[in-house]
Amino acid sequence: MRTTKTLAALAAATLCAALGTATAQQPIVLQWQTANLTEKQYEPIWKATIAEFEAANPGIKIEPVLVARKDHWTKFVAAALAKQAPCIVSVDVATAAYNGYLMPMDKFIQAESAEFRGAWSPDILSAAKWKGKLYGLPIWGGTYAEIYNRELVTKAGLDPANPPKTWAEYLAWSKKLTGNGVWATAVLGGKTDTTTRVLLTWIWSNGGEAFNADMTEATFAKNPKSLEAIKFYLGLAGKQGLAAPAPTTTNYLEQTNLFSQGKIANMRNAYWAVAKVHDDNPAMKGNMFVAPIPANVANAPTMSTMTASSISASCPHPEAAWKFIKFDADKKWSIERARVANWMPLRNDLANDPQIKADPLLAQFIQIGTRARSYPLPSPIWAEIAAGDIVDAVQRALLQPEKTDEIFRDLDARLTKKLRDV
Amino acid sequence: MMRRARYADSARWILVLAWLFLVVFPFYWMINTSLKPPSEIFLSPPTFVSSNWSLDAYVTVLTERPFARYFLNSFIVALGTTVLSVTLAAFAAYGLTRFFPRGATPFVVFLLFTKMLPEALLIIPYFQLMASVGLLNSYLALILAYASFALPFSVWMLIGFFRSIPRDIDEAAKIDGASYLQTFFLVILPLAKPGLVAVALFTFLIAWNSYLWALVLTTDASMHVLSVGVANMVGEYRVQWNELMAAAVIAAVPVMLLFAFFEKHLVNAITSGAVKG
Amino acid sequence: MRQWQRRRLVGYAFVGPVFLFLCAVVVFPLSHAFWISLHRTRGLATSFSGTANYQRALTDDAFWHSLGVSIQFTVACVTLHMLIGLCLALLLNEIRFAKTALRVAFLTPWMVAPAVGATIWLWLLEPQFGVVNFLLGAIGVIDAPLAWLGTPNLALISVIAVDVWRGVPFVMLLILAGLQTIPRDQYEAASMDGAGSWQRFRYITLPNLRYLLVVASTLDIINTIRHYDIIGVMTAGGPAGATEVLPVLLYNTAFRGNRFGEAAAIGVLLLLIVLAFAIFHIRLTKPEQGSAQ
Repeated sequence: MRTTKTLAALAAATLCAALGTATAQQPIVLQWQTANLTEKQYEPIWKATIAEFEAANPGIKIEPVLVARKDHWTKFVAAALAKQAPCIVSVDVATAAYNGYLMPMDKFIQAESAEFRGAWSPDILSAAKWKGKLYGLPIWGGTYAEIYNRELVTKAGLDPANPPKTWAEYLAWSKKLTGNGVWATAVLGGKTDTTTRVLLTWIWSNGGEAFNADMTEATFAKNPKSLEAIKFYLGLAGKQGLAAPAPTTTNYLEQTNLFSQGKIANMRNAYWAVAKVHDDNPAMKGNMFVAPIPANVANAPTMSTMTASSISASCPHPEAAWKFIKFDADKKWSIERARVANWMPLRNDLANDPQIKADPLLAQFIQIGTRARSYPLPSPIWAEIAAGDIVDAVQRALLQPEKTDEIFRDLDARLTKKLRDV
Repeated sequence: MMRRARYADSARWILVLAWLFLVVFPFYWMINTSLKPPSEIFLSPPTFVSSNWSLDAYVTVLTERPFARYFLNSFIVALGTTVLSVTLAAFAAYGLTRFFPRGATPFVVFLLFTKMLPEALLIIPYFQLMASVGLLNSYLALILAYASFALPFSVWMLIGFFRSIPRDIDEAAKIDGASYLQTFFLVILPLAKPGLVAVALFTFLIAWNSYLWALVLTTDASMHVLSVGVANMVGEYRVQWNELMAAAVIAAVPVMLLFAFFEKHLVNAITSGAVKG
Repeated sequence: MRQWQRRRLVGYAFVGPVFLFLCAVVVFPLSHAFWISLHRTRGLATSFSGTANYQRALTDDAFWHSLGVSIQFTVACVTLHMLIGLCLALLLNEIRFAKTALRVAFLTPWMVAPAVGATIWLWLLEPQFGVVNFLLGAIGVIDAPLAWLGTPNLALISVIAVDVWRGVPFVMLLILAGLQTIPRDQYEAASMDGAGSWQRFRYITLPNLRYLLVVASTLDIINTIRHYDIIGVMTAGGPAGATEVLPVLLYNTAFRGNRFGEAAAIGVLLLLIVLAFAIFHIRLTKPEQGSAQ
């Protein structure tokens, strides 16, 4: 019944739009799918967003599509191939655009005021572009930094006001922090793309590069600084024993659990991890401090992820979809997201907002994020290689450290072949 | 002789209890975790029994999420699947054993053939098929898909079953003037009831536990089945273990009750002839 | 003449519904999968590429490695399902006390969804906080927590163990029921002839269970070789591809790699292997069928 009604409504609306007259009768129903809808802490926010939007726009109804994060892409693709994808989605922009699942949004954003457009820096916007066209509006992200457990640090006789700035200092700290059932940090080698994210931050902080400029060649082993970084980072888990055991099954969840329970003294993570730790272990409030990622070169960039809201290619009401995307990207909701889930706003006009300023950790992350490179990297096969080939190589290297050179040379060859085949 | 028998008996019991422990421990842990408050979940060493046990997680899960709705959806889909699948299978098995005895094997191979492709490949075309006939977000789409999963096993089992019912009974009914359909419904099916019960239970279980198809074919939250409702509780950024385990327990209980209730029938069913082929 | 034709027609009427149903619901997706395996797909853009996907799969190390893991996984799981199921059925058959309760208890792993069972085990096997490491450490079997899913051999063993945990009840139930159809007098006659318990098992129990064992094992093999959930949830094919069975490779190629054509080719190759095997395996039941009217 409901399906027929919806289909009829969409059909009627499309017909009217095609005839050039505005539709007035049936409400437009837009489906909204983003993996975050199933993150519990975000639930009250998105419900409020939908309620307020619908109140302000009586002709439009937003229907949230709830999917477990691990199946979010699968469901989206199945629908997109049948041209039935939800109108508003948050997916990996390059991959989805390349496969034809998204609609360019240039005409919508160009129609907005200069003030609106100015809230996003050209850098951030270019991260949501594919082949020169804009396919998503950046909504939120996370900057990676070092988060430390203050109590464990002081117990080891180290000074929280002087966190490590170079790798040598980091190594010294790690050695002091390990012992008595506690490890300095955790090496991420689990089968998600978080493994790749952290690996890239290590490579970049050594002045290395994982890919060439136009993403047609992989240089994990080819670039000696990259290889050096990889060996140093993965080496923390090996014989040195400075990282928690079982790195090949350590993902974001395991890493934050270890940190919340005081089993590791430091984690390289994004701002949202702070909220998670607070939730897991309320005693950790006020017990964390943040520092930039230690680096061996000056001005080394950290990483900032970017999540964007996009319009799917088959959406019959792109104008209505844009309205909602604009609404959701508003300052109010950006601040709410930051407050509740620690998802950093990507608008650059919030720095002076009192709620933002009230959180010192957030301010630090924002400061650290001023020197950051965007993630995901702009390749249509990024999702596949970040959670597939690169992770496999990391796992192999963790299991057989003596073969690290060979493993990453193989990875370079495989990735280059895939990149050229795009 | 007596002592040997007693040793054998004890040995038997030890082995059975050992496997029973392995089987049941995960459930005990599931329930244990679901009763703990969140702060206790990560304690090292873990607690096996806790004075802080409470039903809070269950209350949260049941009040915050529309589990009643999920239950209803799961039930409708599973029941529909069972009815459809058992009916089709009974017809087919009867037809094969009575009218095409030599065709049974090739037919079974054909049925198995339909199951040999991994699910991931079938989902997308099936989605497109359902989209084109307007059946997305409907119970029917799921019922049709799940019925097709259950058919190979159902037909195969019922073939063995119907084979054990002698043809003389059909002949006798014919002589009494019954039509083919009447013979089937009024004479043979009642005799086959235990087998039908067995196949029905298996089919119900398959439909109740299926996840990926329900996920892809329904977008409307009011159409979500139990397995999807439970899976949606696994965020990547946070997993509330006690609530997740509570949800899993809630999802598993109806099936366990169903099986406990029908267990006697189940064993008798397969007993009375299906297995001999 | 007409009677014979009429019987045929009635026969078609009985068998037809299933056949038509499957054609409507399954044959379209199946043929779509075959069709797409002959194309190069990039999302919505497809171009005909003949057997390119098959050539690619057959020359890809990942495919052969995956096939190897699949075979290892399937052989281990099915063998253990059948052996343990058989042993359990034999044991339970002799027990009178608390029969129903025991049987339902043993059925429980099979009653939860595979993904739920896998998630529970994921939690149990967690290196730092999981209870398995704790218990094993407490009784002294291991002196440091093991990374059950973190090292290749252990990971494969773990997923096999979980699959066995889940799959045994079904086999056990079938065999248990089957055991109860064997007429007691056959056993009594054999005892009086001086047959020991192993001989009774080999010459009476096994032959009587043959059809059942073939049905159960064939279905088990087909189900196990295409099974995705347990491995997908627990290891996603890791670490370093140690548990990457073909369904996982296929799923990743299709949904993460967005290369449905290649995934379909892998699926069809898997189907051909399983089909060949199933036909061969089923032929084993031929003699049995003939004797049973």
